[in-house]
Amino acid sequence: MELTTTIKDVFDRVSKKQRLSSSKTQEVIDLVEQEIEQVLSKIQQPPPPNGGETNPKAILAELNAKLKEFGPTNQLDSSQKDLNMALGKYTKVIDKTFITDIAKAYRSVDFDQHTLNQIIAAHFYRQGLFDLGDLFTTEAHEPDLVSLKAPFLEMYAILEAMRLKNLEPALNWARTHRDQLLLKGSSLEMKLHRLAFVEMLQKGGDARAEALAYARTHLAPLARTHMAEVQRLMGCLLWAGRLDASPYAELLSPSQWELLENEVARECCGALGQSCESPLHVAIGAGVQGLPTLLKLANVMAAKRQEWGAMKQLPIAVELGKEYQFHSVFVCPVSREQGSEENPPMIMPCGHVLCRGSIMKLSKSSNRAFKCPYCPMEATVLQCRQLHF
Amino acid sequence: MEPEPLQNGDSAPSAPVPAPPSKMSNLEESLKLEHQFLKVPFEHLKKSMRVNHRMVEKEMSAVMLTVAEVSDRDMSREEAVHHLTSLVSRLQGLKRKLEESNKTEQLQAQRCRARLDHLGMLQVGNQREWSDIRVKRILVDYMLRLSYYNTAIELAEHSNIQDLVDVDVFLEAKNVIDALQNKEVAPALAWCAENKSRLKKSKVYDIPVVHVRSKLEFELRQQEFIELVRAKNSMQALAYVRKYLAPWGSTHLKELQHVVATLAFTSDTECEKYKVLFDAKRWDCLVEQFKQEFCRLYGMSLEPLLNIYLQAGLSVLKTPYCYEEDCTKEDPLSQESFRKLASSLPFSKQHHSKLVCYISKELMDVDNPPFVLPNGYVYSTKAMADMAKKNGGKITCPRTGLVCNFTDLVKAFIC
Repeated sequence: MELTTTIKDVFDRVSKKQRLSSSKTQEVIDLVEQEIEQVLSKIQQPPPPNGGETNPKAILAELNAKLKEFGPTNQLDSSQKDLNMALGKYTKVIDKTFITDIAKAYRSVDFDQHTLNQIIAAHFYRQGLFDLGDLFTTEAHEPDLVSLKAPFLEMYAILEAMRLKNLEPALNWARTHRDQLLLKGSSLEMKLHRLAFVEMLQKGGDARAEALAYARTHLAPLARTHMAEVQRLMGCLLWAGRLDASPYAELLSPSQWELLENEVARECCGALGQSCESPLHVAIGAGVQGLPTLLKLANVMAAKRQEWGAMKQLPIAVELGKEYQFHSVFVCPVSREQGSEENPPMIMPCGHVLCRGSIMKLSKSSNRAFKCPYCPMEATVLQCRQLHF
Repeated sequence: MEPEPLQNGDSAPSAPVPAPPSKMSNLEESLKLEHQFLKVPFEHLKKSMRVNHRMVEKEMSAVMLTVAEVSDRDMSREEAVHHLTSLVSRLQGLKRKLEESNKTEQLQAQRCRARLDHLGMLQVGNQREWSDIRVKRILVDYMLRLSYYNTAIELAEHSNIQDLVDVDVFLEAKNVIDALQNKEVAPALAWCAENKSRLKKSKVYDIPVVHVRSKLEFELRQQEFIELVRAKNSMQALAYVRKYLAPWGSTHLKELQHVVATLAFTSDTECEKYKVLFDAKRWDCLVEQFKQEFCRLYGMSLEPLLNIYLQAGLSVLKTPYCYEEDCTKEDPLSQESFRKLASSLPFSKQHHSKLVCYISKELMDVDNPPFVLPNGYVYSTKAMADMAKKNGGKITCPRTGLVCNFTDLVKAFIC
């Protein structure tokens, strides 16, 4: 991606200059040290047998002059200057490429601390991070939040067991919740048995008898609802111990465990009345998608000196991915108003949909026929039906 | 951040797949929000470099000065040897210190690089994982800002994202904050001195201000003075004013006069104007002020990232339907805690109809148009076709119980 490649290049230059600067510094210090040491050894030399005491002053004056000429501080300064330039360039490039103030769209409304802590604690527990959640509730001085843990403990016990290839707890759960699962059309119990069956078969040899027994006990009752799948699994019996060479090899893949774990997690959450995804994760994700637009809006409003504060509705639409679309929102193509209880969407005989307000306007509130704005068909108010999305 | 489709067994579940071009620009947009992510470790690196350079400068200047001095004087051999030896050991000491600080600089530069690499991974790696890490980063940032250090460190370690979060930077602040909470200003003043040149140039957002002297230092000095007055150390207090507060007179005269006048009062004074100066809450204000200066210096937002992202997210998700009884559990706003947070935020706006099938939760668009029952209830074509296939051509409305034939349904055209 070009964004990071250009920036990486600039940073590479920073690294290079840093290395140069530090080696130069080393050089300068070494040189000065050397000079001083040379003079030191000169002075420490025993005086010549015929002369008197050597006067160190002359030697020292020589040293001083030499060092001055060398100008270590200037050298250090100039290498630092070089480095500073590279640093400045990098600062400029990141300030330019990224949005420096993402808090521009932030409103100073009350974000209740306790509620936020509650959300975070629930998130930790939901993700199975029980110790972390406990640590958090202690540090945040919110001991009662620990109670949020309870519903997820069972779920994580089941998942932990699955990670250790133990399907018993999961099967128990599926049995207890069989009716619920059937209502949803979920084939979780079947999938669990399938995985257990395949694992058994893989052991090969005598396992075939064991697997057959398993099939009779557990797969047979499911035959009514999952005939095709059961037949397929019966076919696997022929390949006991050599499933990887069979047409059913995919059933052996380790990802089957992962997929099933995810499905168990989803069903457990559903049974608990919880969403599949952590709501905090979803909200942050929506924020990431929406923030760039909101920041642009904040800039525009600041330029126009408009008040950001007390608006009831965002003045612009933010495009979110369809994973964030939880509700049907109808926008009348004519009036651009959002459908509501007082102004519901209505379908005309031609199949086009407008809000009631627009229809009333078009019909001039009488029972005269009016033309649909999108096709030549005519309609009267009475022929229009209210829609419920 | 789309729910990944269930895949067949053989391919690794997290095989990196480059995003389609339509999503690329969205991803780039979201990357642009990560200024703080790159800026903080870089500022930290620059600071280390500054400190090192100053140390080298200082030592080198001292050495040069000493050489100049001794070459000017008359001295014995022993004295000269003594001076020169001490200079050599000084330089050697400097080299040792430099070795240490170079190592630190290297680590900090590595961290900057690691973060650049991480950003580059968004578009080529597993996006689900990247989003997960982003949530964790945001949570660590929150913990650090609220001083829940243990949780922050634990979360960073557990998720192996130590290089992607700024624990060490915040731990530096912790020392100052702890001291302030113990009514000690020394570490805070030391911090101001350390960062003096940077604080002066601090730009308040986009408004360049020429002479921004860090007001924090002034506030800290005031507080120390007030504590001296509180303890009835009038002589010390007066000396303090002369030494530390007087220089601020040229720019903050009124404030200075106000605080110095406390000398005339006792700490339990009832006079409102001066009672407020003796209030212990001023220490909390100092902590807040320090936190703000600190964040500004490192290029961090003043509010926790969590608040910023949540506010934006809740607002764009907020519709009147979220507050209805049968709001789907998948919507965060179906939960009481999220509703509470979103209560004072504006609703989202839509320009075009976006319709979601009640049964399949899928979008009802051109590929899956809405079908209308005789009673006005609407479901997606796919859901209706599915239901009809399994029920011999009959449809039962899940919400009203009405039974009709698939052939009774009418297609709706949504513009």
